[in-house]
This record gives sequence, C-alpha cells and structure tokens, in this order.
Amino acid sequence: MDIAEQKKGSVVVVALKGRLDAATSGKLEEALLGLIERGERKLALSFHQVDYISSAGLRVLLVAAKRLKPLNGKIALYSLKPQVREVFEIAGFTTIFPISAAEDDALRSFQKS
Amino acid sequence: MTAPRTLTLHNRLSELERLAQEVTAFGQAQRLPEPVSQALNLALDEIVTNIISYGYDDQADHQISLRLSLQAGEVTVEVEDDARPFNPLEAPPPDLTAPLEERSEGGLGIHLARTVMDGLEYRRQNGKNYLVMRKRVSG
Repeated sequence: MDIAEQKKGSVVVVALKGRLDAATSGKLEEALLGLIERGERKLALSFHQVDYISSAGLRVLLVAAKRLKPLNGKIALYSLKPQVREVFEIAGFTTIFPISAAEDDALRSFQKS
Repeated sequence: MTAPRTLTLHNRLSELERLAQEVTAFGQAQRLPEPVSQALNLALDEIVTNIISYGYDDQADHQISLRLSLQAGEVTVEVEDDARPFNPLEAPPPDLTAPLEERSEGGLGIHLARTVMDGLEYRRQNGKNYLVMRKRVSG
C-alpha cells in the first residue's frame, strides 16, 4: 500500500495505491491518525488505484472517521472502483461516508458542511 | 471436473498476498467471471484473516489448509484449521444502519464473507474447524 499526501487548501488529499487488507491497513491507520494528530480535519481519500478492500480497510476508515467526528472533521472518499464500492455497500458504509465520483466533488463536499 | 487447487498457509498476515495470488490464479485457470473471482478473494481473505488474527492462543506456527474446486457450475472452497472453535454462521450480524459513532468495528468481515458467498457450512471435528463455502458461477 502506497500512500501519498497533498495539501489542497484546508483539505489533505490522500491518494491510496494497492490492496487494502489486514496486512496493509495498519500503514493507512498510522497515516490517517498521524494527520489527525497534526491537526488536519478534512481528509479526501482517492481510491482511484485501490483494486481491493477488505473489512480491515473499512475498519481503519471507521476508526479515523470516529476520531474526527467530535473534532468537527470529516473524511470524504472518491474514485471508487465498482468492486470496491460494492464492499462499501454490503458493509453499509455508503450511508456514513460521503462518496464522490471525482476529486473536485469530494473537495466541494467539505464546503457544504 | 478439473483437479482441485490446494494451498497451505501459515498463520501470518503476510500470507494474505499469496492467498490472493492463488485465488486469482484459480479463477483465471477456471475462466471464472470476474465478480465470482472477487467474491472468492474477499470471502477467503476475511475467513483466513479472522483465523490468523483471533484463532490462536499461542505464538506457534500453525497451518491453514485450503481447497478450491469447480464442479457443476459451482465453486466449493474448503478451509481447515486447528484454531479455537469458531462458527462463522453463529456470528451476530453487524448493525448496518447505525450512525457513524455507534458503528461497531467488529463483525464486518464475517458479514462480507456470508454476503458474497451463496452458502456456508461449518463443523468442528477432531479439534479442527472445517468451513465449506459455495459460490454459484452462473444462474
């Protein structure tokens, strides 16, 4: 799992690449909690290069989103491949995470709230 | 029916990558549709991750045996392990409608495996867990 961070205004765009399973999700957890620790509150995660996610990956997103909530922060996701989106749907995660088609939409979703 | 594909994994999470490669290779060899191959990958990943992460009380090396076969338009996956007794069919389903702060971090993996497969059977025998999962290829 490769993780690239880029600040765009008040939002940190986090581009993910690779498989997100129990063996790799620890690296993402470290990265997201590190960003929150450093004071970042708006995280936009690109799933454009993620071909696979398991419940271990979902768990990390849930942990980070739960930590951000009382801090008035938010995680937005975008560019999910169909098979990845299906896992989000089966897990009921599409109702707790804003999911956009592209980065622009994800960045705009922070302005609304 | 072609020869089943067998695979033995050690109880280390680093084995998940090899598991994915083997399941994908099985799908390609059997010309399985992509959604079927993806379902097998996810279900096996979740079941094996569960065994490795929560199944053992010691730090010793354990083996998890897998067997994949295709017969009469149905893929059968058998998982055999010597971890503590665990029947995934008895695991309570997670709450999928609760607000974010009330969502549980556990139970999602088994829910995913049960949802993407068409059938699961479990038995405990001779100190081992035997799980059989089925996935229809068509129809």
